[in-house]
Amino acid sequence: MKFLDRLEETFIAFLIAGATLVIFAAVVHRFVASWSIPVVQELALAINMSWAQELCIIMFVWMAKFGAAYGVRTGIHVGVDVLINQLGERKRRRFVLFGLLAGALFTLIVAVLGVRFVWENGAHYAFMNTLGQASEGIFPGPTTPDLEWQTWIVYSAVPLGTALMCFRFLQVAWTFARTGELPHHDHGHVDGLDEPDVEDEFHPHDLHTSRHGNAKGNP
Amino acid sequence: QAPIIIKFSHVAAIDTPKGQAAEYFKKIVEERTKGQVKVEVFANSTLFKDKEELEALQIGAVQMLAPVPGKFGPLGVKEFEVFDLPYIFKDIDAVHRFARGPGGASLLKRLESRGVTGLAYWDNGFRVMSANKPIHVPSDMKGLKMRINSSKVNASIMKSVGAQPQSLAFSEVYQALQTGVVDGTEGPLSNLYTQKQYEVQKHVTLSYHTISNYVVVTNKKFWDGLPAPIRSTLETAIKDATVFNDSVAEKDEAASLAAIKASGKSTVYAPSAAERDAWAKAMAPVHAEMADRVGGKTFIDTVRAASAN
Amino acid sequence: MSTAVILFLLIALMLTGMPISISLGLTVLSFLYLFTHVPIESVALKLFTGIEKFEIMAIPFFILAGNFLTHGGVARRMIHFATSMVGHFYGGLGLSGVVACALFAAISGSSPATVVAIGSILLPAMVKAGYPMKFGAGVVTTAGGLGILIPPSIAMIIYAVATNSSIGALFMAGVIPGLLLAVLLGVTTWYVARKNNYPRQRKASWAERWKALREAIWGVLLVVIVMGGIYSGVFTPTEAAAVAAVYAFVIAIFVYKDMQLKDVPKVLVSSANMSAMLLYIITNAALFSFLMSYQHVPEEMAGWMLSQGLGQVGFLLMANILLLAAGNFMEPSSIILILAPILFPIAIKLGIDPIHFGIIMTVNMEIGMCHPPVGLNLYVASGITKMGITELTVAVWPWLLTMLGFLVLVTYWAPLSIWLPKALGMM
Ligand code: NA
Ligand code: NA
Repeated sequence: MKFLDRLEETFIAFLIAGATLVIFAAVVHRFVASWSIPVVQELALAINMSWAQELCIIMFVWMAKFGAAYGVRTGIHVGVDVLINQLGERKRRRFVLFGLLAGALFTLIVAVLGVRFVWENGAHYAFMNTLGQASEGIFPGPTTPDLEWQTWIVYSAVPLGTALMCFRFLQVAWTFARTGELPHHDHGHVDGLDEPDVEDEFHPHDLHTSRHGNAKGNP
Repeated sequence: QAPIIIKFSHVAAIDTPKGQAAEYFKKIVEERTKGQVKVEVFANSTLFKDKEELEALQIGAVQMLAPVPGKFGPLGVKEFEVFDLPYIFKDIDAVHRFARGPGGASLLKRLESRGVTGLAYWDNGFRVMSANKPIHVPSDMKGLKMRINSSKVNASIMKSVGAQPQSLAFSEVYQALQTGVVDGTEGPLSNLYTQKQYEVQKHVTLSYHTISNYVVVTNKKFWDGLPAPIRSTLETAIKDATVFNDSVAEKDEAASLAAIKASGKSTVYAPSAAERDAWAKAMAPVHAEMADRVGGKTFIDTVRAASAN
Repeated sequence: MSTAVILFLLIALMLTGMPISISLGLTVLSFLYLFTHVPIESVALKLFTGIEKFEIMAIPFFILAGNFLTHGGVARRMIHFATSMVGHFYGGLGLSGVVACALFAAISGSSPATVVAIGSILLPAMVKAGYPMKFGAGVVTTAGGLGILIPPSIAMIIYAVATNSSIGALFMAGVIPGLLLAVLLGVTTWYVARKNNYPRQRKASWAERWKALREAIWGVLLVVIVMGGIYSGVFTPTEAAAVAAVYAFVIAIFVYKDMQLKDVPKVLVSSANMSAMLLYIITNAALFSFLMSYQHVPEEMAGWMLSQGLGQVGFLLMANILLLAAGNFMEPSSIILILAPILFPIAIKLGIDPIHFGIIMTVNMEIGMCHPPVGLNLYVASGITKMGITELTVAVWPWLLTMLGFLVLVTYWAPLSIWLPKALGMM
């Protein structure tokens, strides 16, 4: 389980960092290629970066699907809890559990739909083709326009990420049913800022020494 | 009995030739079938976007579309990209000779293996170049950042004249042209006008390097499952809508050109015959480079022969 | 009829407290299954393609940039600079809070992030300097709202995506209203402080101000890079966001050195977490708006409203009330995604400028985040101050009133928003 957690975190961190670098590189490339410097321009024009946006989108969709699963574990998905917070503790717990199970149900359905969609979108053909059983009625699926990757592989983010998300909902629901504990995302928390150095934080360093005399305000 | 519903989804605005033709199709179908068939037109990609509409058609979420031929490349029928080859058709009559003849029909036939039935080709005029500097000859394109519709053939066209192809989201094109993220773009005159791109482009060159058209398609299973009399009524309606579209497109192309000229915001340049030959020559390597992709050299020659008079 | 069923189902599911994204998804699934013939596979397709738009990718980029800035000491230096400039007026540190929020807003795309960045540093300091906690909390909670009005803005990106408007034009349209609101919040702060005779800081010398500016310059430069880069055509708004993220990383690690390389994975994961949550709502909302288009809900609603003879003035009043009411229950991205497809076509038919309407929606979202019972800024501030929501609600009151007045101005005086993008030729 620890391994799965780590894998999930590493994967989404890699995707967000990778996508950022890809777009940064594409911007730099376009910038360089439009300079009229003889050799540099030729070299830059010879490099093809038109796939950058497509790759970025694919990476972010994968990040979104797996990140959403991670989000269940960190309790980041917000809901409207105004009403149920007015209820007694026992009723409230029932609603929370209902919400978690609804999440599990929705993601389960989507994961199944996702598998069917990916299957009909080319996975079936790829599978049969590998087995040497490709027959008349089964067609190869489409590719993405720029990278020309098989879309069924790209779309696999939906069933894979959603299945993981379903698992996370069940995991959280199980813990909640047993212990009454929910993961809670604290939006106000900043790592490294837990103990702000108040003396130093709000004023130019030079004013340090004279500050105490004036902090209560000039008349 | 509940009417048969055809959801016709497209990505253009209602007042474009395609948008008008879709509405015309709806009108005549509903009249002629006396309400047995109901056509719901979804313009402006309100239902499905450019990127997803073909897959939506395949799974039967919509029944009719009219995408550009290049869209069938990712679907595995790359031969349609032959329409995007530069200077392969001399004029609009050449396009018609090929598309309305056996060549065009056999291309449509190839879609059936993907669960799609091709119904017709709709015109949308020829494509022109625009930029913020005069582009009279191919060498003027050197180093220019040109926005293209994402496609291998379009990218190759830009590279053949030393420009830098850029794919950009359609909604950001106007601003990218205005601020200079890209130096220019290419597309049919009607786009240049309706998207107000001419306001932020100083120069337009009537290069007419490729044509712009659409392929009207439907879901094969849906189409084959229609009662025969209804299907034949629809086939006639498609034919009439095609005539309607092509005449609107022709008038629209002329009107857009006149309006751009009259606005005084861009200078329109018509290349001389010699300059046009220079453009064709500069872009000629695209044919060789893309030959394997679009179905082989022999296929390209067939298209040329079929379109010649 | 179908409209009523869809909306009823959605609201009922949301009130059970389940995540908004899940209630959107379940509404669509049950409706499609029970009432229509849409192949249910299109749901899987939409769940991938719903966010398959390059413009949306600006959201993770701006979140990443914001996190690097918060952790990397940029916010702290901006507060120093703001204090050196305005600290000597009535409510000194409160005013610095407004200025620092406005500065930070110009590099961050989100309101709660702005509240966190400025609030977690400034609030403890204010208490120490003798200000009541409620004063500081009131200032930072509301001024943090500038985060989505002063560009870059995640709320504007979402509006642009939902309505196919230009992100760049929206960004430019937010500049003048954003600055004006900053001034109005500053005046309110000053007035409250003067009435209660709150402390002031010693007036900094110009040499001290110059030094503070020099220290903060790397953060301020990012404003120039993002807005300048978009306007001068070096990059599109989405690319600007990616460049900002890389820049913020370099500043945090190599220039200010408030962060070390080993802290980077943590920032990446928390940014991915926040982005994925927003993208998940966006995906499911895309599904929901697909269902509504399929059922022709926007056209029906528009037709109905127009048949009621509502003019521009009446419609805008109604839209504001609806948006503020929605702000009681939901967070901004969901509201924009659900309501923009319904309200936008009506606004267009009534001749309201799409960019102007985007700014109106943004200001409403901003206010919604500061008012109870659900307001992300309130929660964040409550997390920092450990004050209860009720107590905070009382604390933000003077500023909230100012914001409501400002909303009226923005709603009925279009040039305030659209003059700048028009003058720059962006629309
Ligand atoms: Na901002
Ligand atoms: Na609220």
